[in-house]
Amino acid sequence: MSSSVIAADSGRAAAQPGQQPLLSVRDLSVAFHDGERWAQMLNNVSFDVAPGEIVGIVGESGCGKSLTALSILSLLPRRGCARTGQILFEGRDLVPLGEAAMRKVRGRRIGMIFQEPMSALDPVFTVGDQITETVRTHFSVSRKEALDRAADALGAVGIPSPRNVVSMYPMSLSGGMRQRVMIAMALVCEPRLLIADEPTTALDVTIQAQIMDLLIELSGRTGTALLFITHNLGLVAETCARMLTMYAGQVVEDGPVDDILSRPLHPYTAGLLGSLPQPRQRKSKLPSIPGRVPSINEMPSGCRFSPRCTYVQPPCLEPQVLSAQGARHVRCRRHAELTLPGAAT
Amino acid sequence: MTDILTVDNLDITFPGRRRGQKVKAVENVSLKVSEGETFGVIGESGSGKSTLGRCVVCLTPPTAGQVRHFGEDPFALSAGDLRRHRRSFQIIFQDPNAALDPRQTILESVREPLDVAGIGSSQERRQRALAMLDRVALAPELAYRYPHEISGGQKQRANIARALVLEPKLIVCDEVVAALDVSIQADMLNLFADLQREFALTYMFISHDLRVVAHVSDRVAVMYFGKIVELGPAGAIMATPLHPYTLALLSAEPEPVPARLRNKQRIILKGEIPSALAPPPGCRFHTRCPIARPECAQREPEWREIAPGRFVACHFAEAPPAARG
Repeated sequence: MSSSVIAADSGRAAAQPGQQPLLSVRDLSVAFHDGERWAQMLNNVSFDVAPGEIVGIVGESGCGKSLTALSILSLLPRRGCARTGQILFEGRDLVPLGEAAMRKVRGRRIGMIFQEPMSALDPVFTVGDQITETVRTHFSVSRKEALDRAADALGAVGIPSPRNVVSMYPMSLSGGMRQRVMIAMALVCEPRLLIADEPTTALDVTIQAQIMDLLIELSGRTGTALLFITHNLGLVAETCARMLTMYAGQVVEDGPVDDILSRPLHPYTAGLLGSLPQPRQRKSKLPSIPGRVPSINEMPSGCRFSPRCTYVQPPCLEPQVLSAQGARHVRCRRHAELTLPGAAT
Repeated sequence: MTDILTVDNLDITFPGRRRGQKVKAVENVSLKVSEGETFGVIGESGSGKSTLGRCVVCLTPPTAGQVRHFGEDPFALSAGDLRRHRRSFQIIFQDPNAALDPRQTILESVREPLDVAGIGSSQERRQRALAMLDRVALAPELAYRYPHEISGGQKQRANIARALVLEPKLIVCDEVVAALDVSIQADMLNLFADLQREFALTYMFISHDLRVVAHVSDRVAVMYFGKIVELGPAGAIMATPLHPYTLALLSAEPEPVPARLRNKQRIILKGEIPSALAPPPGCRFHTRCPIARPECAQREPEWREIAPGRFVACHFAEAPPAARG
């Protein structure tokens, strides 16, 4: 199957059965060397993203969400870092690729948006300079042609008078506008996959709604798959077809969003859902997950969530595997016996 | 009974970059907070909510209007009296790092307010600081660590201990849980509720997170562009918002529930908060308001009580939101 097969469905479209995944991450592990020994930060991460699919990754800080994104893009430090496993993108493994080959993928086939637009935009170049640089890196087009594409891209992300904005500096734009510029830059080469790491966390809620709407609309229109990293379960619920929960460097749950929200299979996912304030239970005591994510030196040998889990039993003290349950995957031996509370109604 | 906090027709203006230019951060804000209450303030960046919070604890002087604590104007106090007065009116900020000195241990940071106030002997101050760390559930061994050695949630607990150690009456909590993960956030909100009962505290809880504000507050004020556009009991505002901006905020808040349980229509506001240097005429929300009519650009809506305890500034507030859709 060629990579030109793109799901026509938009928004919440799920993977079609029998379809080749666009991205297939298999047993991805990443370790860092701290000068004395290796510390494994990602442990056998596996998941797929279908063409045009919108997949969310949730979890608390330090669970490996952003590291997963950086690994896919090969943006890890060159020294003191080891990456194993496979990252199959459009049928090709990205792990063994050198920097020169990766440069042709990054920005061209896989776009990226980060949380803080100001740290990704260069303050001394105009918006137009920065977008045309991306275009001319990947396509042999004239400066004028590149500028036209930049202006079109800015128009497509809803920036008023894009012809004026190309000659503006990032400083003179608002946070929401800067994030639109980032999206325009990420999408100008029409990538097949867009990785968005907390794209709206720095924005106000009314602007967040605008940006999320834009991302879903663009993804639907161009068939670009979206890997959306966030700590906001509400955003995942409203935008993604499928979600992954990560905990302590592992994927602990993976499945269709509505199924997981209705009945989570992993106690950690249930814990995250439970700790959100509910509009109908004001002033009530919020259930929280006791303890915190274990540091790399105190990682339990068994289930990594077991020290914080209310349902812990002796079998949990052995390592857990990510097992398939139909369209869902869960890393919890006890999942069949447990009926965990889902999102409150 | 005198209210612990009264704000009357408060204006706070900052000088702009150019000469003679003025930025009104807060304009004509009036509110009352009674003892033991949690008063929520919600708004987006640039709405003036933090400036209001700073003024309430005397960190920013009013340009016009008045802030009163138990009926008295704290800005009229002498420097020394104001310093003593401040003990009772504390503030906790969003960034747990910015408020702790990286060169002081957690214990030193929590003890510092007592040292400055000169309360008790050195030994007593140490004991009180340690007791407060214990009360906010920070393990004793963390007392001798430096801020960079502990987590964000632990730092925020240290900040709470630091604010509480002088036994304040009112605490302004400015985005105190915004930087924390959800499960830590839940712990922290529970802690705030427990401390309120135990120390009879009054909170002004400032946040952009509607869910958080609605959860903790008795009453809520919604701010837009320097003004309060709606004020009322938290439950009533969540159930039946009267101002179109409140309604838009509620609808923009993503809900973590399966699609079949989501029954709201999302209102996506056009545009962004206008420039503070050129406030729009008439109703300040009219440039983004989905139900704006020509008169909204000309006439400023009157601030009025349209049901007991429910205040709103919108020309069309008397028509229920559904009919206005």
